[in-house]
Amino acid sequence: MTVFHFFNCAILTFGPHAVYYSATPLSEYDTLGTSVKAAVVYLATALVKLVCLATFLKVSESDSFDPYQEFLKALIGFIDVAGLYFALTQLTHRNISQNHKFQAVGLGWAFADSVLHRLAPLWVGARGLEFTWDYILQGLEANANLVLSISLAALGSLMWLRKNKPKTLIPIIYICAGIVATMPSITSYLKRGLGWHFPKVVGFELFTSLVMAFTSWQLFAACQRPSV
Amino acid sequence: MAPRRAREREMLVDSLYSVIALVFVLVACVELCDAATVVDVYRLIQYDMSGTPFGSRLASLNHHAGSMQFSPHADLSRAVLMIPLRELNMTFIKEYIAQRKPLGGLLLLLPQLFSFENRDCTGSNNQNHGKDQLKNVLEELEQILIHTNLPYPVYFAFEDDDVNSVLTDIKKNDATGQPATATTGGYKFVVSAPEPKRVSSPTITNIQGWLAGTKTDDDASQVPTIAIVASYDTFGAAPALSVGSDSNGSGVVALLEIARLFSLLYSNPKTRGRYNLLFGLTSGGPYNYNGTQKWLRSFDQRLRESVDYAICLNSIGSWENELLIHVSKPPENAYIKQIFEGFSSVAEELGFKVSLKHKKINISNSRVAWEHEQFSRLRVTAATISGLSTAPQLLERTGGLVDSRHFVNETAITRTVKLIAEGLARHIYVAPFLPKDDPFVLALKKELEDHTDEVNLQREVLDGMFTFYDSTRAMLNIYQVASVTFDLLLLLVLGSYLIVLFSFLVITTRGLDDLISLFRRPPSRKVKTA
Repeated sequence: MTVFHFFNCAILTFGPHAVYYSATPLSEYDTLGTSVKAAVVYLATALVKLVCLATFLKVSESDSFDPYQEFLKALIGFIDVAGLYFALTQLTHRNISQNHKFQAVGLGWAFADSVLHRLAPLWVGARGLEFTWDYILQGLEANANLVLSISLAALGSLMWLRKNKPKTLIPIIYICAGIVATMPSITSYLKRGLGWHFPKVVGFELFTSLVMAFTSWQLFAACQRPSV
Repeated sequence: MAPRRAREREMLVDSLYSVIALVFVLVACVELCDAATVVDVYRLIQYDMSGTPFGSRLASLNHHAGSMQFSPHADLSRAVLMIPLRELNMTFIKEYIAQRKPLGGLLLLLPQLFSFENRDCTGSNNQNHGKDQLKNVLEELEQILIHTNLPYPVYFAFEDDDVNSVLTDIKKNDATGQPATATTGGYKFVVSAPEPKRVSSPTITNIQGWLAGTKTDDDASQVPTIAIVASYDTFGAAPALSVGSDSNGSGVVALLEIARLFSLLYSNPKTRGRYNLLFGLTSGGPYNYNGTQKWLRSFDQRLRESVDYAICLNSIGSWENELLIHVSKPPENAYIKQIFEGFSSVAEELGFKVSLKHKKINISNSRVAWEHEQFSRLRVTAATISGLSTAPQLLERTGGLVDSRHFVNETAITRTVKLIAEGLARHIYVAPFLPKDDPFVLALKKELEDHTDEVNLQREVLDGMFTFYDSTRAMLNIYQVASVTFDLLLLLVLGSYLIVLFSFLVITTRGLDDLISLFRRPPSRKVKTA
């Protein structure tokens, strides 16, 4: 029965990625290769981030929110953005439209993130007899992360791949991208500084991800129209 | 190009299968145990007496938890009943055991005061009365449990905060009669202990110490010996918990104290007595003093003949005003008279009473009630000094759960030690050596190492009717589990979520027509070809 629970949580965590891939035109255009490449780039970025964190960060005993450390972590978080940039621009993709490119990259990114961060705890923890809500909440977080990654990829593609953008929208694009990129720091501040419990944090993440997705969709649609 | 691609794909699929197989192997190997609470539990004793099994016969446990407030039609054969001692309903237990009703397991919660880690002996009058009541309940329970054959695991645990909170949760659940849900918490008790195995040839160890006395020059014959013996073994409901403070911890403590006092005197040749002193700590007490018997049998004939008399100590920790000397030789015997008079005069000075009790040995009966009887059977004069007035039955008062330090009276032990030391000293030494007042004896009580000339260990095998089983201590893991319905419900919810997500994405990216066309494709094709 506990394997059952593991199975449930695994579906919750990884199911949406598969569903996204099969539901959208991504499957029709066979963009799996792009996603895989994006996942590999994510792995490399994660390694680089790990090394930087180990070098520059001090281990603090207390669980409080230390602004300096968090700022450092946010800076290192921007390596994420650099990795995404690399995946979007430098990798050679087959001839797929920009529309689908960012989706594929975002999907691969989010999938790698979920596997790396959530698979191991799920495997070890959810199969035990003891029941906790943690793994279900983790799955919800993975969903939010998927949406956020895709919106970040969309904004990234807007920033770097599209050459003609309406001038007014550019700052908004950058602001949104900035917010999405610093989401990890924001959540850790909420957890540590304000002391929110895990369900609340997950709820917040889901909400913001939906909002950001909507905003980036609107921005993307706005940029599709030929600039005046 | 195409066949090559197909072959490549095949190889990829094959390797994928092997990876999946490896993963499944890993699944089988990894064992988890992260429980909400882990509690130390102690198993009820399991033993065979002359082939008849007694005690709790199983060790491992993996059932749901229940409390005394179970609903009448609940099936208890797959449940572990968790009962705190304070709320124990003796008639229920007796009925359950007598009718041999099936039960998944029993977990008895003992109050902290029975724990051997709890050193707090003080308490108000009310508390003492409560303690006595609990003590009686526990004694009765212990006697019932060790004389019954229980085909399910029975464990003892001590109350603490975690365990109490789990118990209140379980009671709440049972009271509402609802099946356990994820949030209200059903609990599962898991003890993964190995199958209890027989302890083959249990050994009993007798320890003896020897203080040599002086040979007086004109005494051609051998120096006589006085033996002081106490048995240190216990038998109780939970072997890991049987401390046996009174039976016979008090006797052992007294013996060690006397040994220390006399070692001081004997270390100086000028104050050495005319007698050898033989101290014996024997095992096998609850089992008809088997150890004492073996120890005596191992004696040299000369040694045995040189023993003037032996004093056995048993349960001297809980008497108030009267100490009893039990003998098996008739009181008119010269030796007995001497011993008794010596001790009673000392007792008078110390302010309590000593009385003599005579109990004949029945040679045909293998039951040995007092330790001195083993001596008497081998023609050695002996007596047992005890606070008990009657001999305990087999396996009764053998230092079980109840016999913890709180119920032992320390002044009783000190007074007994004084009595025996004084009495022996008067017997051993002629008057000038030892002033007859207490301060001398008290002054001897200093912190020193035990010092005897020779200390020997003797190991024997316990024979006879008892067979013991191991696996006395375990860890109980308490898990909070969700019911099956919860998992199924969750699966349903997730399935519908994914389906909704799928349709949403199809609609937004490909349009509603595409979604409908997913379900309608075959008919439309037929139409086309027609």
